[in-house]
Amino acid sequence: MVARMIKTKKVDNRPLTLLERLYFTEIAAGMLVTLKHFFRNLFKPSNIVTVNYPEDRIPLPGNARLRTRHRLKLRADGTPKCVACYMCQTACPAYCIDITAGEYSDGNPVEKYPVGFDIDLSRCVMCGMCVEACPEDAIAMDTGEIPGGALTRDEMFMTKRDLLRNLPGEPSLLGASNRLHNEWDGTRVKKK
Amino acid sequence: MKLKIDGKETQVQPGTSILGAAQAMGVLIPRYCYHPSLSVAGNCRICLVEIEGAPKLVTACSTPCAEGMSVLTTSEKVRAARRDVLEFLLINHPLDCPICDQAGECGLQDYYMEHGLHKSRFPQADKVRRHKRRDVGKYLVLDNERCILCTRCVRFCEEVTKTGELCVRERGDRSYIDLKPGSRLDNDYSLNIADICPVGAFTSADFRFKKRVWFLERTASVCAGCATGCPIEVHHRDNIVYRLMPRPEEGFPAWLCDEGRMTCKSLRAPGRPAAAFCEEGNLKPAAGLRFAASRLGKLKPEQVAIFGSPFMSLEDNLALAELAAAIGTKNFCLHFSTEPGIKDGILKNTDHSPNSRGLALIHAVYGGYTREQFSERLASGEVRFVLGRNEEVKAALAAAKTDIPSSVFSFSDEPAPGRACVLPAASHFESDCLFINYAGRLRRARAAVKAPEGVLPVWQAADRIASMLGAPIRLETRAAVLERLKAKIPELAAAPLSDDKAEFELK
Repeated sequence: MVARMIKTKKVDNRPLTLLERLYFTEIAAGMLVTLKHFFRNLFKPSNIVTVNYPEDRIPLPGNARLRTRHRLKLRADGTPKCVACYMCQTACPAYCIDITAGEYSDGNPVEKYPVGFDIDLSRCVMCGMCVEACPEDAIAMDTGEIPGGALTRDEMFMTKRDLLRNLPGEPSLLGASNRLHNEWDGTRVKKK
Repeated sequence: MKLKIDGKETQVQPGTSILGAAQAMGVLIPRYCYHPSLSVAGNCRICLVEIEGAPKLVTACSTPCAEGMSVLTTSEKVRAARRDVLEFLLINHPLDCPICDQAGECGLQDYYMEHGLHKSRFPQADKVRRHKRRDVGKYLVLDNERCILCTRCVRFCEEVTKTGELCVRERGDRSYIDLKPGSRLDNDYSLNIADICPVGAFTSADFRFKKRVWFLERTASVCAGCATGCPIEVHHRDNIVYRLMPRPEEGFPAWLCDEGRMTCKSLRAPGRPAAAFCEEGNLKPAAGLRFAASRLGKLKPEQVAIFGSPFMSLEDNLALAELAAAIGTKNFCLHFSTEPGIKDGILKNTDHSPNSRGLALIHAVYGGYTREQFSERLASGEVRFVLGRNEEVKAALAAAKTDIPSSVFSFSDEPAPGRACVLPAASHFESDCLFINYAGRLRRARAAVKAPEGVLPVWQAADRIASMLGAPIRLETRAAVLERLKAKIPELAAAPLSDDKAEFELK
């Protein structure tokens, strides 16, 4: 049995006192609060509780479990892990992903890579379906940046160059095509 | 011969396989190596079915029906067999689906979702590794790792093209598909191998990585690559044609030649005009028509020549014939002499034009000069302006050794130097149109994509020009054109031209 928690707030509906009805005392009290903040911010600006969003942002706590702006992971040699399988584009309910596939010409057995990978964040609904759908562990939503607060639509349009980024401790070795690539990369290093 | 399949009684001709009998009833038995147009190999084992009383499961593709047989296709034993066969096939199959072009139309994916859904018991690292991304021919890429050795491709090359480029090498789990020494897979039908390959072993080098197949929209149409007029399916998306595939239709084999498949390339060829090119410069297509009409209007009727073409549809040629009649010129040619016939015993026709029979019908009604007479007329110097299809006007002027100012309809990127006016025209991928193939069969091409803005099919352009000349031919809509075809051409009087589904053959 789950206990029900209902929060109630009692509203004070008593009639106003004479002092309150006089109006000016209340105005002065309100002005006092405003002035208190004004002088505090004037002499000790580090205590300001608001930030100049979107230029300044408060970093998210390290243990924040949420979906943030996308990134494309990289392999050890700097090539994208993405193989342009179009699974994320297929799964995307907002039609905000647009991939163009290409073929490696240098003998890479993975064969396929994204020539272009665009995400229109102004359309994105941050549902995370692309991450769920990815068979190669190539796309993630863990950059800790909350998209939005852009001044133009173009700023919200992410291209492959904007998206490619690894976090410390990567690259990861998951994904079948990645295994192919790593084997090939190993032989290439030995030959060198 | 009577037998029971899944408890339902059916009657078949002696010699029918169980798979064929089941298919006729609408029971689909899974298959990899079986193909209705190839010989039966019986090596993939996915089509195993149970016959009541028989000690073992039998392959449905290679077992003929017998009197009183009772076949079970969904029993527990059969389903277990399918699951196990799939597991065997998938043991050495790489996890390539994200990079494999077959994904979405792959037999392994489909049957795994239907019958398998097991977890792999085989470690990925132990899978047999083979040659990937092999360049085996002009249009094909071979990946030996993905191959399940159904040998459809080998049988196709042996039985259909009879060129026999492929063979299976080695034995057991070492076996793989290979080219015979010194050969390359570049016969005229090689892309069919990519179609019949049930997995992603053979993929089309041309279509490779262009589009995922589940995004493609399909439009049933016909190929205009030669007089055979094969049924095709146009696969397109966002106004781009990505590939042409054969479409099953009675009277045609299930194949399509490579040349026919590549006919869609001219649609987006960089040199294909989307605007009209005139002496005055580039014009919008509608302004180009006005320019052509103004040039025609300045001339006497007998100074104008109009050139029909077997490469254009029935509608287009009818409209040009009507235009010639409306102008009142005798200088028109709706003639094309050809000897059609299947030259290689499969599909390719000696006659490269899709509509020579259709042109002959219009020629019979409207008359006009033959090609030879027309060439003489052009050489005589009386003709001052020619209207026709780019390639043919070019050839006719070269044959007559003259250079008459002309206005040409351009369907492709074929260059048209020195013409007074080049008018872009919508091709059979961009407008509904009719052809009559070498056997007299009515072929319907359906618009799959939209033509560039303002670009009209030739019949509509001819109608506009006629209106601008003050001699309207009243062919504003396609329905009007079809009505006129029926009214004018006695052979087509009873033809169901506007009924999109109906078949028709000339007597």
